[in-house]
Amino acid sequence: MIDHVDGVAFGVFIFLFLLVTVLGFAAARWRSGGNSLDSLDEWGLGGRGFGTFIAWFLIGGDIYTAYTFIAVPATLYAGSVVGFFAVPYTIVVYPLIFLFLPRLWSVSHRHGYVTPADFVQGRYDSRALALVVALTGILATMPYIALQLVGMQVVLQVMGIGTGSSNWFVKDLPLFIAFVVLAAYTYSSGLRAPALIAFVKDTLIYIVILVAVFYIPHQIGGWDHVFSTVSSSFSKFNADNAKGIAAGTAAGKGTMPPGVAQWAYSSLALGSALALFMYPHSVTGVLSTRSRSVIRRNAALLPAYSFLLGLLALLGFVAIAAGVKVDNPQQSVPQLFKEQFSPWFAGVAFAAIVIGALVPAAIMSIAAANLWTRNIYRAFINRNATHSQEARQSKLVSLVVKFGALFFVLALSNSFAINLQLLGGVWVLQTLPAIVVGLYTRWMHRWALFAGWAAGMAWGTWLAYGVASPVQSHFGGPLVAFPGTDTKVYIALLALILNLIVTVVLTVVLRAMHVAEGTDGTRPQDYHVDAGDIGVEDELDPGLPAHA
Amino acid sequence: MTDVRPGASGPDRPSAARAEGRPTPPRSGWLVVYALLAPAIILPLWVSLYDRETPTFLSFPFFYWFQFLLIIVAVALTGPAYLLTRRLERSDRVAHGLPPEPPAEGPTTSGPGPRGGAQ
Repeated sequence: MIDHVDGVAFGVFIFLFLLVTVLGFAAARWRSGGNSLDSLDEWGLGGRGFGTFIAWFLIGGDIYTAYTFIAVPATLYAGSVVGFFAVPYTIVVYPLIFLFLPRLWSVSHRHGYVTPADFVQGRYDSRALALVVALTGILATMPYIALQLVGMQVVLQVMGIGTGSSNWFVKDLPLFIAFVVLAAYTYSSGLRAPALIAFVKDTLIYIVILVAVFYIPHQIGGWDHVFSTVSSSFSKFNADNAKGIAAGTAAGKGTMPPGVAQWAYSSLALGSALALFMYPHSVTGVLSTRSRSVIRRNAALLPAYSFLLGLLALLGFVAIAAGVKVDNPQQSVPQLFKEQFSPWFAGVAFAAIVIGALVPAAIMSIAAANLWTRNIYRAFINRNATHSQEARQSKLVSLVVKFGALFFVLALSNSFAINLQLLGGVWVLQTLPAIVVGLYTRWMHRWALFAGWAAGMAWGTWLAYGVASPVQSHFGGPLVAFPGTDTKVYIALLALILNLIVTVVLTVVLRAMHVAEGTDGTRPQDYHVDAGDIGVEDELDPGLPAHA
Repeated sequence: MTDVRPGASGPDRPSAARAEGRPTPPRSGWLVVYALLAPAIILPLWVSLYDRETPTFLSFPFFYWFQFLLIIVAVALTGPAYLLTRRLERSDRVAHGLPPEPPAEGPTTSGPGPRGGAQ
């Protein structure tokens, strides 16, 4: 099964992989202060004590994932510059984090909330609404984890491991091994494992990217040469395929979004930014911080990664200029590393990407498992669960979630991993009215929020189902024409608009009918408390109104 | 505007007292924060503003280098916004019946802690 594998690259790769494996298991003892991992605060939120420095790595690892390293440059390599929306997306997201998340931090710490659905339960006193928020989070997280596995698979293919066999199990055996190792240390160490591994991951990635964006363009004749080669290559493609492009069977290529794609570009950026912190894993990252100001400081510091992301995306163009020829655009950047770097450094680069997939996959599976435990197991199955029962449930479910993600990888087309994540984005954005609006006002009625969610989910999924691409007839992309126009926009935003309209209209109706709106378990003050305030450390039962 | 950690007894006492004694209307201060953050949201989404080739910079088309510039602009605006919120938070806390600073620092400290005389 291992043919054509460079021994040096493989050796470096295995060494780094083993290093993070050891770190992953050792993380159980890191910063634990003698506390056991038998509660969700310890296992699922790392003890809730991460400062600015650790949070920077952890949240950075959350946002800039294998999707960053594989899918974004792949879209540029394929001539679809709309994929560069990842840069404005990661600019827009930080002011939003800066404004909204400190409020979520405060209310969660005062009431012992572990998940966004815990907050919805406490705020709206509606188990149904909390349940759908939790289910949406789990459903949206699985394709996101799947995306990380796709990223790992691509690197392993380029390294030449696992491509030799026609047997699907042997073919993907290295992926299974990496996966089992990930599952094992997440199980034993919880959120501390990805937090510790994130240091190694980011160090490696910073080195690799900086070398890549300075060394490779220099080797092949500078950025000037890169941009001119790419534009002539795209012009040639467009001329050769003019008939197909006119007929709509092929997509034109360009180094800049065409005028008609501008709304697609900005709606993808905005929709993804709004969706990002609805994802359970980013909430997990934020709630694991020590105080409100850690979040705000990070909103000012995290854009350093965005710079890196933009440079990395451009490696898709560098690959074209360097003459990289691959059928699957996702292989373009790993292939570029393989061709341009000496074997040992290629090994470092491959390890960086694979570890870059392991960190977010671990955080995501922990977040999804927390949702299950708090909002399904505890809310519906065992209402008197102890801390250690909760932790045990989460550990087991983190395994189930990872296998669910593996199913996504094997069952769905992974030709463009980015679309999987965008489908998850469509779903998770529908929880925004309950969570973000709920942080400011309780005007919206709980059943109106429920109906709005249902409408947004149904319409968003239906729209996504109807999108065809050259390789698949359904779920082929994230864009549809805005109703009544030809302007393409991101499905998630359209569904959110419907969601908000339904919620507002029904709120007016339900309030006029005096339908019971439940008891708000939170007080205005709860949205402003900080570490050290009275009641912030106390673990309160989220089912009960605080300080009643 | 100094970044004073809550609980670092000495230097933050005067500012805490100022926030308590003369609670500046937080609304207008927050408007400044929103004004600082707004460009970081609006400019990246205003694609027609930067969807063009020229002028190039270090042979990067305008489309690319402008977005890199926006990252720097966003950081340059978020920093001051952060420093501003540290003061605004104090008056917000007072307005919501909390002491201007948390009585103790850190989640590991149980109870009011050694300096916990504030409430």
